[in-house]
Amino acid sequence: MANGTDNSELLENLKLELRRGCLIVAVLAQLRAEQYGYTLRKALADDGLAIDEGTLYPLLRRLETQGLLVSQWREEDKRNKRFYRLSPAGEVILKQLLEEWESINASLNKILQEASL
Amino acid sequence: MNTSSPDSSTRNATELIERYLQAVRFWLPRTHRQDDLIAELGEDLRSQFEDKEEELGRALERPEMAAILRRCGSPMMVAGRLGPQRHLIGPALFPIYEFVLKMVLLWILVPVFIFIVGPANLVDGGGNWPMAILKTFGDLWSGLFIAAGIITLVFAIIERTSAHLGTEIKWDPLKLPPVRKQDRKPSRLKTVSEFGFGCFGLVWLLLLPHYPFLILGPAAAFLKAGPMLHNFYLPFVLLSTAGLLRSGITLARPQWTWFPPLSELVNSTLLLIVLHSMIQALTRSPSAYPFVVLQDAVRDSPKYFKLVAIVNVSILASVAFTWLGVCIAAIVQVWAFLRYLRKRMSAPPRIATLGLR
Repeated sequence: MANGTDNSELLENLKLELRRGCLIVAVLAQLRAEQYGYTLRKALADDGLAIDEGTLYPLLRRLETQGLLVSQWREEDKRNKRFYRLSPAGEVILKQLLEEWESINASLNKILQEASL
Repeated sequence: MNTSSPDSSTRNATELIERYLQAVRFWLPRTHRQDDLIAELGEDLRSQFEDKEEELGRALERPEMAAILRRCGSPMMVAGRLGPQRHLIGPALFPIYEFVLKMVLLWILVPVFIFIVGPANLVDGGGNWPMAILKTFGDLWSGLFIAAGIITLVFAIIERTSAHLGTEIKWDPLKLPPVRKQDRKPSRLKTVSEFGFGCFGLVWLLLLPHYPFLILGPAAAFLKAGPMLHNFYLPFVLLSTAGLLRSGITLARPQWTWFPPLSELVNSTLLLIVLHSMIQALTRSPSAYPFVVLQDAVRDSPKYFKLVAIVNVSILASVAFTWLGVCIAAIVQVWAFLRYLRKRMSAPPRIATLGLR
């Protein structure tokens, strides 16, 4: 029983680690078009990458501090919303990250195919 | 069946979200990002409410709003996630850890060292102020370090054990405390009362030299003001006038929200200086009865000796307690003023407005 709990906790931690890097790529990719927090969260969830408020907003601020995003408070539908979009530096980084992603994905597929033989 | 009108639903939503945000803010570290994060979280919640309304095709009921907030997580948990990343103590426990640390270090240890350990060191050192201050700071530093270490250790242990126990905080969005008004202008009634009492106090003070019974009552027949009251009469009149002026300005310029906390602090500081000078003068005074003395007519009457001694000791005790009270008030006022400044400086240029569509 205790072993089962330990395994599920371990799996959760590993899934969390796996998701962490993917989320950054997903957020950067989504922000090629300008969006505000909630629509971004919804778009990610619709594509199968649900993310809670407490994770997304600190991540957006971190990416902005790193110069990958730019943001602006603007009024829309009579409410002030903070809009985010990819900065020029973010576009370069995203391109490089996607190349890295393709490379990792290809390697992983190759490893999995070899293992299943 | 939906019983709420769209207007009341909007009011309910705004009120519930504001209560929720207030609770999150309480646990969030007070950095320049706090208002920004709260504004953005508020906007997210309002959008979630709207989406749910669109999905249902009707205004939301309070339990449905509460369900959305409950799904977001307890305010403490959300604040933990929104705050900076921590490793030793996780986001769920960190706000409580920070709260306990502040309470113990700032509100228990520091006052204990200032008001108990400091004076004790002063007495031990035979009145040597510099040595007493140095020793108190040294002791305070070690005390803070040890207390912070113990608290951190306890919370780190709780973090490790609770992760295995899977404990969850029980909370109800509908039972969150009501929203407190922030950055309020000073109450007009309070300021008018202060002004009225200030006028009364100043007139009373100005009449004292001519009508001593106003302070001594029937004892004025055989007691009169001593050298200390004579010497410090003018500073107290000036302080009283300054207080009156302060109330007048607050009344005339209620939009100067910075003025009341700053002027209260200045007032307390000046009062502390006067009281401190009085206590210093007392230690140098050759007179056994510095505050009140016997009238010339009864100066040699032994039956009044005990009475005059009691009155002087009572006034001395009042001065000492007032000094202590003003010290505490000044610390609180410094804290309040710093909070005011921090809030002023940290406010983002534009905060999301309230109200749903």
